[in-house]
Amino acid sequence: MKTSVNTLEREARKESVIHNLDSRIKLIMTLILIVYSVYTTKLLNLLLIEIYILFLVFLSKISLKYYFKRIVYILPFGGFIAIFQPFIRPGDILYTLPFGLSVSSQGIQFGILLLSRLTVSISMIVLFSSSTPMNSIINAMRRLGFPKVLTIILSLTVRYLFVFFDELDNIKNAQKSRCFNIWNREVSYMWILRQVGYSIMMIFLNSFEKGEKIYFSMLSRGYNGEANQYIEEHSIENIDCCALILTIAIIIFIEVK
Amino acid sequence: MHIPDGFIPISQCIVYYVIVIFVGYFAVNWAKNNLDEKQIPLLAVLGAGVFAIMAMNIPIPWGTSGHMIGSPIVSILLGSPFAGFLVMTVVLIIQALAFGDGGVTVLGANIFNMGIIASFLGFYIFKALKPLVHAVPSVFMGSFLAIFITSIACALELFIAGTFPLTAGLVFMGLYHLVIGIFGEGIISTIVYMAINNLRPDLINKKSLDLKREN
Repeated sequence: MKTSVNTLEREARKESVIHNLDSRIKLIMTLILIVYSVYTTKLLNLLLIEIYILFLVFLSKISLKYYFKRIVYILPFGGFIAIFQPFIRPGDILYTLPFGLSVSSQGIQFGILLLSRLTVSISMIVLFSSSTPMNSIINAMRRLGFPKVLTIILSLTVRYLFVFFDELDNIKNAQKSRCFNIWNREVSYMWILRQVGYSIMMIFLNSFEKGEKIYFSMLSRGYNGEANQYIEEHSIENIDCCALILTIAIIIFIEVK
Repeated sequence: MHIPDGFIPISQCIVYYVIVIFVGYFAVNWAKNNLDEKQIPLLAVLGAGVFAIMAMNIPIPWGTSGHMIGSPIVSILLGSPFAGFLVMTVVLIIQALAFGDGGVTVLGANIFNMGIIASFLGFYIFKALKPLVHAVPSVFMGSFLAIFITSIACALELFIAGTFPLTAGLVFMGLYHLVIGIFGEGIISTIVYMAINNLRPDLINKKSLDLKREN
């Protein structure tokens, strides 16, 4: 996971047309495209949107291997439910299988629709997150009017995410070097559970202690409950507007055509 | 339990968003009134910690593994369900936008499940049981029931959305989370609570402290 967290940031800091777009515009584009792909029920529309997204991926110069690998990792979560649709959805029965299973045509259609929606949304999210550093995502949300308390917490969380993934790696390495394996059948199950519990407790304790430390270091730098953070100001340029208008135009075109 | 994009129609997603914004309004007010400035960095770091905890595999019997959600124990330790809600909201937003774990349109539904239902149930079951039985079993019951009922709610939502039939959903989600709720969330939260109660009782909110042990 840690490597994925770090490669995520490495890809997000590349240079390209897409990377250089204002993060607010990218966030809005992502939301519009995903909302549309959840709204539409036509497979052709979803295919056209996917082609547009792949065109953006091509422009962004993200490593394709990395891009598709991430999609393949995320897909199984929901894909599982989509694949089972033909068997669980009532409708015109196409085939009857043993064990009382049957395949319905409505189920197949719905399953394909779910899977395509899922693919389109995930392709967009992966493109967005691989072309925008996490800090910019949070800044974009802050500048789009997200509640202040939440954005302060969000930006601090993002900052400490990497520290905690390092810590998690340390814990895992320490356990591995002592031949700790959660599937070991030689020791009692409760003992294993207790060890896992202790490592999770350590993460909690570390969070509490780090929270105190961070508070004091913030205090010594003039924190008074309000985080007046310096944000690199980018004004929205012509190319940002063009990208947004192009996206909206394409969606309207696909819907109306 | 992260519902992905496309599994809940837009019209229903909006309902969940409205509920989350409604609770979020109270949570932000609660944060303004009850959190001293010291606790804001704490919530943030706990968010990062919960992120790491979610990535940790917990063995459950019969050869599968699951992971904790963590909002019930955060609510119990900090003494308010709003704390669990805020931490979970932050975690789920980052998971949805940066990791693709759980969808964007269904973010409202996901926060509703893991942020609102799990935190509030976990905290109030703990609070109700604590005077009756010892604090430790109430931590177990709180976090176990919170996860179990959240999974039932999740199955119901998918049924209302027309994505998954009711009985199959209840059986699969319910059984799986019954086991994860006991061995993952329940026992691990209890271990975390007992250990912190012994090592650093000052970190636990006074309302949630195990007083019997202190005397």
